[in-house]
Amino acid sequence: MATEIKLPRLGQGMESGTIVKWLKSEGDKVEKGEPLYELDTDKVTQEVEADASGVLLKIAVAEGEVPVGRTIAVIGEQGEAVEVAEDAQEEGSPARAREEERERGRGASAEQVTEIRQPSTANGRIKASPLARRIARERGIDLSNVAGTGPEGRVVAEDVERAAATGAPVLAAAPLSEDVEVEQLSSMRKTIARRLTEAWQAPVFQLGITVDMGRALAVRKRLVELQADGAKPTVSDLLTKVCAMALMRHRAVNALYKGDAIELHPTANVGIAVAIPNGLVVPVIRGCERKTIAEIAAARAELVDRARGGRLQQGDLDGGTFTISNLGMFGIERFIAVLNPPQAAILAVGATEDKPVVVDGEVVVRPRMELTLTCDHRAIDGATGAQFLGDVKAFLEEPGLAL
Amino acid sequence: MPELSYREAVRDALTRAMREDDDVFVMGEDIAEMGGSMGVTQGMVDEFGPERVRNTPISEMALAGAAIGAAMQGMRPVAEIMYEDFLTLATEQIVNQAAKHRYMSGGQLSVPVTFRTQGGAGWSPGAQHAQQLEAWFVHIPGLKVVFASTPADVRGLLWSSIYDDNPVVFFEHRTLYGLKEEVPDELEPIPLGQARIHRAGEDVTVIATGRLVHETLAAAQEAEGEGISVEVVDPRTLQPLDEDALIASVKKTNRCVVAHEAVTRMGFGAEVAAVIQYGAFDWLDAPIERVGAKFSPLPFAPVMEEFVVPHSADVLAAIRRTVGRNGN
Repeated sequence: MATEIKLPRLGQGMESGTIVKWLKSEGDKVEKGEPLYELDTDKVTQEVEADASGVLLKIAVAEGEVPVGRTIAVIGEQGEAVEVAEDAQEEGSPARAREEERERGRGASAEQVTEIRQPSTANGRIKASPLARRIARERGIDLSNVAGTGPEGRVVAEDVERAAATGAPVLAAAPLSEDVEVEQLSSMRKTIARRLTEAWQAPVFQLGITVDMGRALAVRKRLVELQADGAKPTVSDLLTKVCAMALMRHRAVNALYKGDAIELHPTANVGIAVAIPNGLVVPVIRGCERKTIAEIAAARAELVDRARGGRLQQGDLDGGTFTISNLGMFGIERFIAVLNPPQAAILAVGATEDKPVVVDGEVVVRPRMELTLTCDHRAIDGATGAQFLGDVKAFLEEPGLAL
Repeated sequence: MPELSYREAVRDALTRAMREDDDVFVMGEDIAEMGGSMGVTQGMVDEFGPERVRNTPISEMALAGAAIGAAMQGMRPVAEIMYEDFLTLATEQIVNQAAKHRYMSGGQLSVPVTFRTQGGAGWSPGAQHAQQLEAWFVHIPGLKVVFASTPADVRGLLWSSIYDDNPVVFFEHRTLYGLKEEVPDELEPIPLGQARIHRAGEDVTVIATGRLVHETLAAAQEAEGEGISVEVVDPRTLQPLDEDALIASVKKTNRCVVAHEAVTRMGFGAEVAAVIQYGAFDWLDAPIERVGAKFSPLPFAPVMEEFVVPHSADVLAAIRRTVGRNGN
């Protein structure tokens, strides 16, 4: 009995995934639990394991974007007949309709491409040097309209240059200048675009506060001195802990806005925004209110390391209840973070800098840091946010209060 | 600046190294009183004595093995293999011993030996005495391979080979021994793995080794008269290969010819062509041309030998083909 391998839902909110490549070929033996293919989801690229043993009889989708639940391969006995349904989803479902629309779109663009590539030479192939092809590609020149003057009629670079100068038919309506680099959106950039556009629609307000970091820096310094090994706690780690403690006292901020309901969560699962090449991910440290600062530092170091190495799993990114975004290390004094839906709030952290301030009527120099809290007004009101932020400030200035 | 012949430049590198360093010595067949079959070591026994300029029995396997043993014991021997055709007899020692000990001992041993040898066509010594076999040794991980084409290069490269901690097979071309060039008083070591641009050009890069460097320079001169600007690059070290320099040159000129005296089939140029097509694929405006000997044992008759091995006219024809002139 053959088993249909369907695209799994690897996390809440995952609607589709992009198959990057198969790690097995048709006809290969496959053991349950063996890595079968690489899947690029909104957030991570990961290997997906086979959920059956046998022979990989058919790969229905070699690569590309596939909706969740679609049959992508069949595993069964050697020689077993395979029938892959065109689409394993029910007729008339919204996903099905979307998929059909996509298919139509693909068909149309495929036709266009074929038409453009229709060669004009008699033997059906255009002879052109790699350089000529590159120049043609960059300038959008159709090689089938360029006469080749090289050996055996090969189109060489000079021919393409001449054609470009005399205005040969071009593929693109407006050819881009050579200096413009075109980067197709990666899955991650698409997700960032989609989610942040979504976030922009939320009615948000911001609250700002300045914190005296003298005590917090001393605490952090002492923690580093006391710690023999492992990741050294940073100001960010301290802030994660302090926010978790404040979130536990202001559960309305530790909330997810779900349209017809607001979920108040019992643990502070704090997401940390991490810049990675060509993007941004927000891995989550769970239960920060129960973790020591050293444990938070260790968890943070591990997640950041894996994030930069592209080795995060979907599970590392799920379940956040609050997000901290810190640009202090770039010298940014203050900024406004965009909401990370469905979370109800996100904290933007600026640099700690020595500033003149008035203490007891005297101007003194103190290390100061600005915090800006962005709140989804559908879930949080001004006073609630202000009380939360006030506690974060109090805990940083008087760490004993957080105990 | 003194003018040295290629032969004198080799001798100069050996002599200076032996004066400065007791660990360096030379060995080979008839290299002492006779000064070697090509006269390279002439007079050296008078200065250094028979302990350091050692005649060996007529057994390439024995002399290569002895040199490797001395190197493993901390010396820096320079062993001369009279004709590179005779490398066949020493191949077991060079390929299976010299190239492997550093690796197989996990770095506990090193084999800083240099095998100097010479060969090439031009004097019609026949099928067993004029081959160009450098490509064989480039194929062996653990060996470095040098092929110098001018007096200054041969001196600086031989010095670096002697002081490299890996075995180096060092090829000289027989017809170049008389070639003269002004060289600096100070010996300047030339790092292994660094190509030399002999002549800058715009239209086509010719990557040439050994005698063909000079044939190519002559061809480039003629091409210039036809309005073709030729860049001439000599990799000098075949392993490690200065891929970046070769690729950069072809990216500039968009065309490439590789030229050596060895037979084209599986010659060093095949490797260069592969490196170039991969590194500069989108910059190539013509197929890479290869110039080398015809696939034949070398004939004894001078007119036939000349027919089999390439000359500047062959390089010029290849240059013209890449720019689409007189293409055939």
